Amino acid sequence: MNAQAMWLNPWISGFSFAESVPQWLLTACGLVLIYCLVIVPSGAVMGYLERKLSADFQARVGPNRAGPAGVLQPVADLLKLLQKQASRDWNWREAIWLLVHTMALYSTVAVIPLGSLLLLVDTDMSAFLPFWSALVLALGTMFLGLSQGSVPGWFGGIRVAAQALAGAFPALIALLCAGIRAGGFRWSEIAAAQSSSPLLWTAAANPFQFIAFFVFVISGLVLLGIPPMDAAFSAPDIHGGVSSHLSGRKLTVFRLGRFYGFLLWSVIAVVLFLGGWELPFGLSTELRNADSPRLLQIFELCWLLSKTFLLVLVVTWIAKVNPRSRVDQVTDFAWRVLSPFSLVALIGASLVAGWGAL
Amino acid sequence: MIESLKTDLTQWEIGPYDHSLPGPMLLRLRLDGELIVAGEVETGFLHRGLEKALERQLWRSAIPYADRLDPEGALFGELALCLAVEEIAALAVPPRAQSIRVILSELTRISAHMGYIVRVARAVGSETMVHYVLRDREKILDLFELATGARVSLNFLRFGGVQADVTEGFIERVLEICELLRIRLKEYNDLFTYNHAFIKRTRGIGTIAPELARAFGVTGPNARASGISFDVRKEHPYSGYDFLDFEVPVGRRESQHLGDANHRFLLRLQEISTSVEILKQSAEAITSGPFALRKPEESFEVPRGEAYIRIESSRGLLGCHLVSDGGAYPERIQFRPPSLALLSVLPQLVRGIRIEDLPVVLATLDIGVAEADR
Repeated sequence: MNAQAMWLNPWISGFSFAESVPQWLLTACGLVLIYCLVIVPSGAVMGYLERKLSADFQARVGPNRAGPAGVLQPVADLLKLLQKQASRDWNWREAIWLLVHTMALYSTVAVIPLGSLLLLVDTDMSAFLPFWSALVLALGTMFLGLSQGSVPGWFGGIRVAAQALAGAFPALIALLCAGIRAGGFRWSEIAAAQSSSPLLWTAAANPFQFIAFFVFVISGLVLLGIPPMDAAFSAPDIHGGVSSHLSGRKLTVFRLGRFYGFLLWSVIAVVLFLGGWELPFGLSTELRNADSPRLLQIFELCWLLSKTFLLVLVVTWIAKVNPRSRVDQVTDFAWRVLSPFSLVALIGASLVAGWGAL
Repeated sequence: MIESLKTDLTQWEIGPYDHSLPGPMLLRLRLDGELIVAGEVETGFLHRGLEKALERQLWRSAIPYADRLDPEGALFGELALCLAVEEIAALAVPPRAQSIRVILSELTRISAHMGYIVRVARAVGSETMVHYVLRDREKILDLFELATGARVSLNFLRFGGVQADVTEGFIERVLEICELLRIRLKEYNDLFTYNHAFIKRTRGIGTIAPELARAFGVTGPNARASGISFDVRKEHPYSGYDFLDFEVPVGRRESQHLGDANHRFLLRLQEISTSVEILKQSAEAITSGPFALRKPEESFEVPRGEAYIRIESSRGLLGCHLVSDGGAYPERIQFRPPSLALLSVLPQLVRGIRIEDLPVVLATLDIGVAEADR
């Protein structure tokens, strides 16, 4: 385990486990706990907010039955999906998909940046790892579609692959732009290159970084198939594509993967371009000086997630008022519009960085 | 079992029950990748024997059956039947009843066109537009409820008039709706019609060339979007349409995208404006007087005779052929639904489009499977 995981130790030692329990086991359990306590509930919160806000956009009421103002609707949905019978028997292809999907989901827990102390894997290649996880998610989804033996599943799978490939290139280039400014791909370096003030965020550093930020967010929509770029999961023509034959628990896992992918992408976009977890008014420094790591962790996490939710909401807002693009238009847009822009941003960012180094 | 990558044509059957279809019908597609190479349409899944059922009804009780010809534009079936009976029996409908009929017809047209906008928006995945239009359509259904007591199947027209006089305040509310729709249409345009992504989804697909429209007998807004200026309300006026001053929107012949899906959608929006104009005129010109020739409960007899009348329904030319042998029951009733022509032209339109365009083409054609299968 990386030395960076040591932030967990003060938490774990507080519970005074027996000496015989190995440290790695405690760390792993702590990680799973964080996943369950942070990622999954944030999915429920975002799902609820998305529904309620889109209801407001669309002149309707939205969920209002389960709990006050419908806040328990995500829980009700989850319980319903979990107890539903599978519409088809489990086959070994779906087992492979589930394995790939779960592995991709859990692998991101280790690499997702959630705060200056919540960095498990902070290597030279850290910023690329969630990116690969997103691609692996797409790969698993494609397998799932192809394994269904139905025309909608087949087209859904192929479209997922096409969109992931089309979105990956500009996203990667935009990622390079942020790395060039920070001088590395460690999360800690990328965060240190920015500050809490929006004027010192990477996205505001120069016009090229601003382009890179836009390209990064939009190509993430293409890569993960998020509305309005969700032709791979389009309902009117291919009945949701890959998910057309899923129900119950399989659908739950699938939806969690889709939503989590979106959240992950937004977190990375915030860390790369929108100032990351650095608290405003110098709070981070003061907390660090006061030697209160737990408070620092909690505040940084909340600050980061708030920014992420704002980004998610802006994207959802845009998605709500725009029709779904056709898959050939999506890939065309990614290759012929996003990619050139990302290259321009890369060249510009390199020139700016080189100018600064002179 | 997918052992190797398939490169030959794929066969895909959509239907008979599928939410991308306008109603129960079967589409057999041959696909080359995502392109549709050929398509076949099989219909008849919604055949209810409606024309036969009408022959088993007394004259008066046939009217609610005519409602079921096209549930979305229920009034048009009624109107066609009533006009045919009135022609055989040579009944002169009082002017107030004529105006009420025109008002209800145009309200039905607007509500049907709003349903159309909803289906197009849903086909391209724009949920926000769906909800906005449905909200406003409810107001028109409220008006129906106010006037007739029913929201969808009105059962309001009678031979020689209408069932009852309109409720107090109805005319004022019609004028309010006209004003509201004028504002809303602009909102729809801002939100949806001129959205770049929407235009890209609809432009250049499912094009009906004017010659194709003529060859297959396509009428109504679809034909007008193809540049064919034919509207029964102008060519063979009925119910006093000849006393109203309105312009029928027609697609411009010189337009590069004449008759494509986008054009058809735009034309529906223009038709709503036209209907609003007609509504205003009728509501302002409505005269006082009797609303029917006789009391609804009085029986009457239809003399021996035959009639064929045409009206402009929301989907196009709706014909009604009626034969009476002078008895208590209709001898023969036949309808000429406008959607049948669309179903026959459909295989021509799906050739060469992508499968993602199929729901869009189907939605912009506005096929009423209920009236086509009868």
